[in-house]
Amino acid sequence: MTDDKDVLRDVWFGRIPTCFTLYQDEITEREAEPYYLLLPRVSYLTLVTDKVKKHFQKVMRQEDISEIWFEYEGTPLKWHYPIGLLFDLLASSSALPWNITVHFKSFPEKDLLHCPSKDAIEAHFMSCVKEADALKHKSQVINEMQKKDHKQLWMGLQNDRFDQFWAINRKLMEYPAEENGFRYIPFRIYQTTTERPFIQKLFRPVAADGQLHTLGDLLKDVCPSAVAPEGREQNEPRLKTDSRSEQE
Amino acid sequence: MGTSPRLPSPMPVAPPALGWATGSGAERSWLSFSMEEDEFFGEKTFQHCCAEFIRHSQQIGDGWEWRTLKDSSEGYMCKTHFQIKPETLMSHSGASACVQTCLPIEEALELPLDDSEVTETTTGSQVIKYEYHVLYSCSYQVPVLYFRASFLDGRPLALKDIWERIHECYKTRLLQEPWDTITQQEHPILGQPFFVLHPCKTDEFMTPVLKNSQKINRSVNYITSWLSVVGPVVGLNLPLSYARAASEDE
Repeated sequence: MTDDKDVLRDVWFGRIPTCFTLYQDEITEREAEPYYLLLPRVSYLTLVTDKVKKHFQKVMRQEDISEIWFEYEGTPLKWHYPIGLLFDLLASSSALPWNITVHFKSFPEKDLLHCPSKDAIEAHFMSCVKEADALKHKSQVINEMQKKDHKQLWMGLQNDRFDQFWAINRKLMEYPAEENGFRYIPFRIYQTTTERPFIQKLFRPVAADGQLHTLGDLLKDVCPSAVAPEGREQNEPRLKTDSRSEQE
Repeated sequence: MGTSPRLPSPMPVAPPALGWATGSGAERSWLSFSMEEDEFFGEKTFQHCCAEFIRHSQQIGDGWEWRTLKDSSEGYMCKTHFQIKPETLMSHSGASACVQTCLPIEEALELPLDDSEVTETTTGSQVIKYEYHVLYSCSYQVPVLYFRASFLDGRPLALKDIWERIHECYKTRLLQEPWDTITQQEHPILGQPFFVLHPCKTDEFMTPVLKNSQKINRSVNYITSWLSVVGPVVGLNLPLSYARAASEDE
């Protein structure tokens, strides 16, 4: 992992310039100016938008405010998806900044999970980390860690501390010298064109003959429609992957 | 007030593949569906157990169905259930037995299951539509119970509304670690919010159940046993005939 340090840093510090605008039907006491923010790709909307919330709540009455939610071009944004994933899935072909609409009423119960507190985000994040480790190490590494290590992982993400995060995450990204990789690769493939939200399957990093699997092997195996047949170079699938222990 | 039910205490887990290979023929047969030798409860086994479970459900009209995914061998089990909670039947503290406070509507009122025909009865009672989905988690290699509840007008029930309807027996245990036990999550196939019983402890309580059945040489359907443990916690009860059917299978 040490030679990948530059890549890890670039992934961690990736940002998306975003413009937040209040939904026109929200009731305000005066005009609400848009709010601009650089969003971290690796984080979650509800974790990094406290300032956005405060900014718009300043021009609204308390009784007109309930749970905040975000929307892009009519699509409610799932806060439990990493920000970079949401952007890549929905807005990567549009011009920057990413224009997100902010809502304080009519929470879309059928589409979005509630986010009652920061604890809910932490629980979701840790649940993803644990599931990934179930695939990589049969949960041995995550279960051997102390609660304070779990907390450090979360605090690292919450406070944008690369070193603090990776001090713990590197243990989740190791495998025994005699093995050639993890037990299974934790991955999820998201496409806008499919019914189901993502594809997730068991996939070993090493083939039966000992050859290391490539990303292309994985795609051909679990998502053949995304890969062009050999020899044709059309619509190269663009992949964004994060080398966090979390799946996406 | 009943005490929280104690789940079988976890026993040290012997390597499952080896332990089961020497088991009786009844257990070995469903294990042969495992794709890989280190898969204790693989997806094929899951599908097989669900098929057996649904077969019995059809015999007794219990409403479980299998849904397959388009262009895929994957699928899940589901059931829709209506419950009425009449105010008069609320149990009060002092009762030592775990009395069921929610009556399945089809028993209480003999109404048809079609949701267009079910209506709210008196002002004191509420009709709630529950949907239960049993999916397979390839990460944990166990089944996972997803559920959601709504009033007849479509308004979904919040987690706290669901807590209130959870049986007293289970509340104390669940309240200790709510985030570990029931959480709201995105259904991995439908992409909509559901509540989920977290799968990571499933292994802990299922292993002793399966070991015991091996010891007493009695066939068991993993899904039947598992659902009979986790179901009642969220208002889902299995008639006893499922257990008899499981021991007759294979």
